[in-house]
Amino acid sequence: MVHFPIGLLLVALLLELMDWRRKSAALRDATAIVTWVGAGSALLAVVFGLLLADSEDASGTSFEIHKWSGIATMTLAVAATFALRSRNRSLFRSLLFVTVFGVSFAGHYGAMLTHGDDYLSSVLPSSSEPKEPAGTDEADFVLTNTGALSPEQVQNLNVEVRTILAHNCYSCHSETKTKGDLRLDSKEAIMKGGEGGPVVVPNHPDKSEIIRRITLPKGDKEAMPTKGKRLTEREVNVLKFWIEKGALWPDGQQKSIYRVAALEPRTPAVPAATAELNKPVDLFVNAYFKKNNVTWKSAVDDRLYIRRVYLDIIGLLPPPEKVDAFVADTRPDKREVLARELLNRNDDYAQHWMSFWNDALRNDYTGTGYITGGRFDITKWLYSSLQSNKPYNWFVKELISPNKESEGFIKGIKWRGTINSSQRTEMQAAQNVSQVFLGLNLKCASCHDSFVSDWKLADAYAFANIFADTLLEINHCDKPTGKIAGTKMLFPELGEISVDAPTEKRLRQLADYLVQPKDGRLYRTVVNRVWAQLMGRGIVEPVDVMDNVPWSEDLLDWLASDFVANGYDMKKLIYTIVTSKTYQLPSTSVKEAGDIMANDFKFTGMVRRRLSAEQFSDAISIAFKPMYSDSAIMYKRLPEDIRQRLPFARAAFVKNDPFLTSLGRPNRETVSTSRTSQANLLQALELTNGNKFTETLKSGSKEWKAKYQTSDSLVTALYRKALGRTPLPKEIAAAKKILGPAPSEEGIQDLVWAIALVPEFQLIY
Amino acid sequence: MTMQSKWNRREFLQHASAATLAALAAGAPVSNLLSSCKSKSNSSADTVILLWMAGGMAHTETFDPKLYTPFEKDMEGNRVLSTFKSLPTKLDGIHFSEGLQSIGNVMDKGTLIRSYVAADMGHILHSRHQYHWHTCYEPPQTVAAPHIGSWIAKELGPKNPVIPAFVDIGQRFTVGEAEELKAFHTAGFLGNEFGPFFIPDPSQGLESVRPPVGMDAKRFERRNQLYNELINNSPVGEFGSDYQRESLKRSMEQAYALLNSPESKAFDLSTEPKKSYDIYNTGKFGLGCLLARRLTEQGARFISVTTEYEPFKGWDTHENGHTRLEEMKKQIDGPVAQLIKDLDEKGLLDRTMVVLASEFSRDMMVEGRPDAKVLEQVAQPDILSDLKFYGMHRHFTDGCSMLMFGGGIKKGFVYGKTADERPCKTIENPIKIDGVHQTIYHALGIAEDTQYEVEKRPFYTTPDGKGKAVMELLS
Repeated sequence: MVHFPIGLLLVALLLELMDWRRKSAALRDATAIVTWVGAGSALLAVVFGLLLADSEDASGTSFEIHKWSGIATMTLAVAATFALRSRNRSLFRSLLFVTVFGVSFAGHYGAMLTHGDDYLSSVLPSSSEPKEPAGTDEADFVLTNTGALSPEQVQNLNVEVRTILAHNCYSCHSETKTKGDLRLDSKEAIMKGGEGGPVVVPNHPDKSEIIRRITLPKGDKEAMPTKGKRLTEREVNVLKFWIEKGALWPDGQQKSIYRVAALEPRTPAVPAATAELNKPVDLFVNAYFKKNNVTWKSAVDDRLYIRRVYLDIIGLLPPPEKVDAFVADTRPDKREVLARELLNRNDDYAQHWMSFWNDALRNDYTGTGYITGGRFDITKWLYSSLQSNKPYNWFVKELISPNKESEGFIKGIKWRGTINSSQRTEMQAAQNVSQVFLGLNLKCASCHDSFVSDWKLADAYAFANIFADTLLEINHCDKPTGKIAGTKMLFPELGEISVDAPTEKRLRQLADYLVQPKDGRLYRTVVNRVWAQLMGRGIVEPVDVMDNVPWSEDLLDWLASDFVANGYDMKKLIYTIVTSKTYQLPSTSVKEAGDIMANDFKFTGMVRRRLSAEQFSDAISIAFKPMYSDSAIMYKRLPEDIRQRLPFARAAFVKNDPFLTSLGRPNRETVSTSRTSQANLLQALELTNGNKFTETLKSGSKEWKAKYQTSDSLVTALYRKALGRTPLPKEIAAAKKILGPAPSEEGIQDLVWAIALVPEFQLIY
Repeated sequence: MTMQSKWNRREFLQHASAATLAALAAGAPVSNLLSSCKSKSNSSADTVILLWMAGGMAHTETFDPKLYTPFEKDMEGNRVLSTFKSLPTKLDGIHFSEGLQSIGNVMDKGTLIRSYVAADMGHILHSRHQYHWHTCYEPPQTVAAPHIGSWIAKELGPKNPVIPAFVDIGQRFTVGEAEELKAFHTAGFLGNEFGPFFIPDPSQGLESVRPPVGMDAKRFERRNQLYNELINNSPVGEFGSDYQRESLKRSMEQAYALLNSPESKAFDLSTEPKKSYDIYNTGKFGLGCLLARRLTEQGARFISVTTEYEPFKGWDTHENGHTRLEEMKKQIDGPVAQLIKDLDEKGLLDRTMVVLASEFSRDMMVEGRPDAKVLEQVAQPDILSDLKFYGMHRHFTDGCSMLMFGGGIKKGFVYGKTADERPCKTIENPIKIDGVHQTIYHALGIAEDTQYEVEKRPFYTTPDGKGKAVMELLS
C-alpha cells in the first residue's frame, strides 16, 4: 500500500514539465506538495520493505535489484525535496527526473516479485479463469531462484511438474488416452513428443511447443487443454521454469506426486502432563495449540456438556431431572461418570449409532434392488453388533467375510440388465470396502488408472477379484481388454491372497489381513470417523480420503494405537474423546460451510453441528410428542425382542420419508459417510408446513393442554424438556403473548414450532 | 465437492432473499425484480418444462404413425404397425396419430424429433431407463447422480427466489418401484438444497406453499414473529453467528417469504378462469400443465410434469394398448397444446423451453431393439385373438419421439426419421440422451463442461462431459 503514493513523483515531474513551459505559482505549489508526499512515502516504502523482506526471508535477484534501486530512488527523492527547499530549481528538476527513472526501474522489479516475472506478458487472456488453488509450497523457490538447484529441489520441482501435468493433461495424454500420439506421463514419453514432434526443448521454454500451446488464449483452436480449462499463471510459470532449468527428471525411483499416508501404526510419545492437563488427547492437542498459538478456553458448563454427550452417545435429549441432578452433583469426576453411564445404555447407544453405520454401510429397511430381490439388509446383525459393542476388528471381519446376516454389505446392489463393468457387484464390494474401512477411493481406478492417486486399473481389479467367484476380465472404461488381473491386496505388505482358493477362503484371508494391528490405516480411518462425528470435523478431511494431511498426525496416530491397545473397543474410544478437555471446549463456528473442509483448517474446538434428521425427530418425540407411531417401525428387519428395547418409535428405525429426507437422511444406495449441516429452503418448507411435523404439533398440543392448566407451567416444562433450562422472563412473556393465560391448542402448537426451529434447539453448541 | 462454476449462487441467493423481502415489504411484484440478473447473453431459455410421458410412449401410436391396420379378430400381430389413423398436422406432410390434433395444430411453434434412441441396458426396466433419462447416467453409479432439474437449480438458482428452482409435479412415491423412482428424483451429490419440490397432486399444490391447513394468515404471521423473538432472546445468541445458524435463519426467511408471497397464488388453480381451467382439466397431468404454466408466469426455473409412473398403468401398456392410448391421448392433447398456446400468447415461449419425452417407445413385436433383443417380458401372441392384444405392448428402444418447443428451439421443424416398415427404428439423425441434455443446457447458457469434483473425481452434467448439443434443433 505504501508504494502507491510514490507514483506521485511521476506526477510531480509532469507538473514540473508543464511549469517549465508555462510558469505558474499554483503549479509550483502543487509540485512541491506532490513531491513531498511522494518522497515521504518512498521513505516509508523502504522501511516497510526491509522489514517485510526480513520477516518473509526474501531473496533472489529481483528482490536484490528492487531493494537497492528502491533505496537509491528514495535517496534521490529526498534529495529532490532538499533541492526544492533550497530553491535550486534546475537541481530539483534533474534530481526529480532521475528519481522518476528510479521509480520505474525499482517498480518493475517490485512487480516481478509480487506478480511473477512475466507479469507484463501474461496480462488479459485467460486471466478470468478460476482462482489458483492453494498449491504446495514446495516449489516456491521457482519465481526467484536463479542459481543451480539442489537434488531435493530438482525432485520437488519434478513432482510439481508431474502434478500439473496429471491434473491438466493426463486425461488426454497418458496411457489411458493418447491424443495426438502424445503422452505426458513419463520422462521418455515427454521427451519423445507427439505427432507434431517434440513438445519440450530443454532450456528453451520459448521454443517448447507445450508452453506455446498452454499460453494460447482461450478459444484458440490450438490452445491446450482443449476442454476450456486453462492452466493458472503459476502452473505455466512452473513449467517454463522447469524447462528453462533443462526439464530435469531425477533418476531412480520416482517420488509419487500424491501424498500417501503411512500404512503402519505409530505410537507417538505422549507429551509430558501439565498442571491442568493429563489426558493424552489433551496433551497432543496442547502441543498442537502451542504450535498454532491457540489458547485453551474454559470448559463448557454442565448444561451444555450433558446435552452434548446425551446427543453424541445415545442421540437423545437429556431429561430435565437428569440435567438438574447433574448440575447439582459435586463429584469432581461427574462428567466421566455420566459418559460411562450413557455408554452403558447399550440399546440406546446402538439405536443412535445405527444411523451412522446405516449410512456408511448403505443399509436401509426398504429397497433397493431394482427387482432383483431387493436390498440385502444387515439390520439385525448391525443392531446386535452395536448393542454388544462388538470389537471393531470383529465387526469389520464379519462384514468382509460375512455370515448370512452380514453379507449385505459386500453383496452390493444388483440391477436388472447389463451394467457398467465398474459397477459389477464385485467391484462395488472393492470400492465400498476400501472407502469405508480404509478411507481410500478406488472408484476412479475401477474404470482407468486414477488421475488423482497412484492406484491403477489393475490394482482395482486385483482387489475386486478377491470378492469374485471367477476372475474378472479387466475392462478399461467399460471396454474389455482381454487381460485378467490376479488377486492382490491393495497393500500387499499386509498379506498374500491365494488366487486358487475358493471365494469364501479368500474373503477370510482378506478380512484377517485387513484387521491386523499392523494395518494402521484401518484404525486411523475409524478413529477419524468417530472423531468427526463427535467433533464436527475429522482430524483428516474428507473422512474418506485418509491420504490427506491430518491437522495433528500425533493425535490421529495415538488415537488409532490406543484404540488397538484397548481391544478395538468403540465405546472406550468414544469415552476417551468425550471426557477430554478438548471435547469440553466451547464449540466453534465457521463463516462458510467450505471453511470446515479447508486445507488450512485450524482446530480450536468442536465445530458446531446441526442435529441429524434422526436426532431432531427424536428430540421432538422426547420433548413434546412422539413423531412416529409404533407401527412405523420396521420391526420385521429388527431382532425379535426389539419392541421392548425401543423407548419410543425412534426415527432411525422408520422408513425414510419426505420429512427425514429433507432433514438430510440419505437414500442409501451409495455409501454416505457425512451429512451436510447446512439448512435449505426445502427443509424449511417441510418444517413450516409439512404434514408430518404439523400433525405432530396438533396431536401433541391436545395432550399438553390437558396436562398444563397455566401457561407459566407449560412454558417452563417445555423449555426444560426441549432446551434443558428454565425460560428467561422475557421468553415467558413472548410465549404468553401467543398462549394467553390458559394455553390454547393453537398457541401450544405455535410455541412448540417456534422453539423447535430456533438454532438453540437445532444445533449442538 | 469443489465448485467449478463461475458464479457464486449462494451469494446471489443471499442478496436475492434480502431483496425479495424488501420488495415484499414494499408490496412490489417480485417476478420482475431480479430478471435482469438472470438474463445471460449466450442463453436462449430461462425456464424448462419437462412433460414426462411415463411408462414408454409408442412413437408409432403418437407422433410418428405408420400404416394404420384396423383390428380384425385373429389377425397377425406382425402386420400391425399403428392401431390409429394418421391425421395431418400444421406441418406439411407431417401426420400425427389420431387423437393428437390439438398438438398437431401447434407444431408450427416447435420441433418434432423422431429419432431419439434410448440406451440399451440389456434388460427393460422402466425405472432404470427413467433414471437414465433424468440423470443422463446409467444406474447404478458410484456416486448419487443428480436429476437434470437439480443441475439446473444448482447452476442457475431460482428464477424468482420465492418459487423453488426445481418443482416436480404429479409423481407419488407410494406406487410400485418407488425406491427406484426415488433414486433419481434427487439432487444426488449436489445436496438436498437442489432437490425437487414435490407436488404429487397439482390440485393440492397450494397446500404445499401456504401456511399449514387451518392456520390463517394472522396466526401464521404471529407464529413467525414469535420465532424471531425467541431467536433474538435466546441466550445462545451470545455465541455469535456462524454459518449453521445463519443458514437456518436464512432458510426460514425464504420459506416465510414463499408462503407469504403473492406468487404463491400461482399454486392455487381455483383462481384460474373456468374456461381455461376446463381445457386443462383432463386429470392430474392436465392440471399439472396448468400449474406449470402458472408457475412459469411467476418465474419458475425447472418444472417436471408427469403422467405419473406406476407399473402397468398409463403409457405402460402391457395389454389393451389401443384402448388405453385413446385415454392417454385425451389426457395430454388438450393441455399440452394449450400450454404452448398460452405461453406463446403471454410472450413466455421465447424463453421457456418445453420438452415432451418418454423413457423409450413401444412395439408390438420387438422387445429392446432389432439388433439387441432382450428378454421378452410381455405375453404378446403372434395371432391377435382378442382386442386386448391389439396395441404396442413390448418395450422398444430404437426409435422414440420427442417434442420440443420454445426457448430457442426451431419452429415448424422435424428432426430424424424412423423406418416405415417394422422394425420402425431410427434411420436418420439418431439423438441420444446426452445430446438432449446438452441441448437443454446449451439453451440455458450452462457450459458444456460444467462439472463438480466429487470424491476427487470430476462429475460432469453429461458422462465425461462428452454430450454435444444438437445445434440443428436450435434456431
